[in-house]
Amino acid sequence: MSILYDEAQQSIANESRRVLEARVSKEELLPLLESTGHYHDGFWDTAREQGWTALAVPEEYDGLALGLVELGLIAHQAGRTISGAPFLTSSFGAAKAIELYGSDTQKQKWLPRLASGESIGAVAIASGADALPRQPRVKFANEQIKGVATGVSGGLTADLAVVLSQGTAGPALVLAELDGVKRHAIESFDNSRCIANLDFAATPAEILVEGPKARAAALHILALQAVITAHEQTGGAEILMETARDYAVTRRAFGQVIGAFQSVKHRVAELYALVELARANCIHAASREGKDDFVTAAAAARLSATEAYDTAARDCIQIHGGIGVTWEAGLHLHMRRARSLAIEQGNALFWEDILVDRLTGEAA
Amino acid sequence: MSAIEAYRENAAKWLESVAPTYGKAARKGLSEEADLALGRRYQNAKFEAGYAGINWPTEYGGQGLSHIEKVTFESEEMKHGFPTGYFGISLGMPVPILMQFGSDQEFAKERVLKALKGEEIWCQLFSEPAGGSDLAGLRTKAEPDGNGWKINGQKLWTSWAQYSDYGVIVVRTDPNVPKHKGLTYFWVDMKAPGVEVRPIKLAGGDSHVNEVFFDDVKISDDHRMSPVGGGFAVAMATLMIERYVATDSAGFGPHLDLFVDLAKTTEINGKPLIKDGRIRQQIARNYAMRSGLNAITARAMLMMQAGMTPGPEGSLNKLVSVRSRQKLSELAIDLQGSDGFAYDDHAQQKDNWTSSWINAPTGRIAGGADEMLLNTIAEKILGLPQDHRPDKGVAFNQIPA
Repeated sequence: MSILYDEAQQSIANESRRVLEARVSKEELLPLLESTGHYHDGFWDTAREQGWTALAVPEEYDGLALGLVELGLIAHQAGRTISGAPFLTSSFGAAKAIELYGSDTQKQKWLPRLASGESIGAVAIASGADALPRQPRVKFANEQIKGVATGVSGGLTADLAVVLSQGTAGPALVLAELDGVKRHAIESFDNSRCIANLDFAATPAEILVEGPKARAAALHILALQAVITAHEQTGGAEILMETARDYAVTRRAFGQVIGAFQSVKHRVAELYALVELARANCIHAASREGKDDFVTAAAAARLSATEAYDTAARDCIQIHGGIGVTWEAGLHLHMRRARSLAIEQGNALFWEDILVDRLTGEAA
Repeated sequence: MSAIEAYRENAAKWLESVAPTYGKAARKGLSEEADLALGRRYQNAKFEAGYAGINWPTEYGGQGLSHIEKVTFESEEMKHGFPTGYFGISLGMPVPILMQFGSDQEFAKERVLKALKGEEIWCQLFSEPAGGSDLAGLRTKAEPDGNGWKINGQKLWTSWAQYSDYGVIVVRTDPNVPKHKGLTYFWVDMKAPGVEVRPIKLAGGDSHVNEVFFDDVKISDDHRMSPVGGGFAVAMATLMIERYVATDSAGFGPHLDLFVDLAKTTEINGKPLIKDGRIRQQIARNYAMRSGLNAITARAMLMMQAGMTPGPEGSLNKLVSVRSRQKLSELAIDLQGSDGFAYDDHAQQKDNWTSSWINAPTGRIAGGADEMLLNTIAEKILGLPQDHRPDKGVAFNQIPA
């Protein structure tokens, strides 16, 4: 089964697109690439002002109690204009972890702040190449965490982090305030992601889930975030497909528009196929939250969205020829973002394994 | 339960009840003639049970329901491997066109009823040696002959012509005007003098397509189904009439579960293939692709139920699913190593990798080649320009050969 967007959802899509197109431009995004640790203030202010930060938070914590479908729609639009900060997804993941596994005290403390955007959340589950490590590098003991969580998107500016750590009795998903934690900014190809290594040195941390359930909880949070990221990737792929099309019907060579050459025309048609498959998988996955097959659907969405965005970034630049590789044209913003989103929430190899484990009944 | 779910449940029950009589198991080892006879009985059983012509008007013997019920029934029917192939074209295109464009409606009604019961089969005489994808490039001609017409020429790739009683045909009636404007649409009696059908053996060994030769075949003007010179529009209507058909994200090849089972039970270098990253990647990628197509189909159904027109993304199914099936079938054969050589030309492509593989090229060409589908997506959905066409606006008989 899948769903059709209702009127309220359609208007979320239309309104967020209108606002983002008016307020985020490539002229503002390009300089962010050349500085470390700066995000697009206008984007984040807009997200807070429009209530997008509150979208998936329960009502009793000042949220709007909507879900993956609605947040996905906004992520799709953000992907089209290139989101100016990673916090919509990172704060969403942190808030979900607190909502699902936290105590009342933790919820009361953090959820309203995350809903308003006053606080920013980050999620640190991966250990390098391992998106969901069996032996996390960060250790948890005596209500403290120690060790370095590497490459945490949003980590440079976040106020709190949900961290998968290795406890004395197996894995533990914990919550840590980042005030006073040493952060090392990563000089990245996509600097507005505010990526940092978080150096925990006896940082106080509170348990959300520990033992065997911690791993399943971490996967669930990853899957929820992956569905949002997949929407963002699909939005990026969609605008690149449209941009390639628009260029192909105006640029002339050899006496005709280049879109009349099948090598170009079919390339754009193939992008359409990838975008529509990704979109359908995203909508389907968003509609399966809470169902048994949710992780499977999330994995499929993630795989097809990564393929769509990567292919669209490559092909859109190729179709533009020389102009496509210039700094000014800004297509490299998408090429860079396609790469950072391909890594965040676990790469394609990780999700392929998750998916096949489920199809073969070997899921842990 | 919604009305459509109830409909699906009833249909599924009925299909299961007749599956032992007409389904996959009953067909095993039958000659084509015996299989066709079984197919005619199955078609009649569908008619009696109210599952023939589901979305056709009741005055023609149909059920008067919508394409939602039709697609629902078809997606359930597909699971059992019934001998429906012989009637797919007939009931899919020529017969509905006869209902819509046949000038003698009494005659049309009689034909429609017999076709619905599986007693008569219609074929579609479109493609020719000189025009497949380029349909309007066809050369078979009809010349005025007394009060009627005389047809000469050759058609090609005509499915099930060897079993057909009638056919619809597009022919050139005026070579002095541009190619699209000189065509006219008729129906013909396939048993008429001068019609000769020669089956063509395909790569997989079967012969469901034919060459059809017309040698001074005389027809009266009441066989005409379009204005003279207006045949191309009716031909397009024919190709559009079956917009809502059950799709198969497996590309009419085996289900992905069969591939997973194969990978589970096969080893390479002492390791089960299901643990091999190369195989796992193929499984994951194919699953993601198929789930995307299934989600597109599910949303199309929801749109139809909501009275909306499904989006153009439905047109992706054949393009994406069949070429993926081709590659996956190659891989499935290779995986079996020296056990992979066996070939059974009676095997079904829905559950046999070798049959799926050998027939896959046909799937990528018949009913719209991949390249034509890409052109259609590019032109109709994305607004990209048509290819350069040197024959545009040129009288047919002036087009350089």
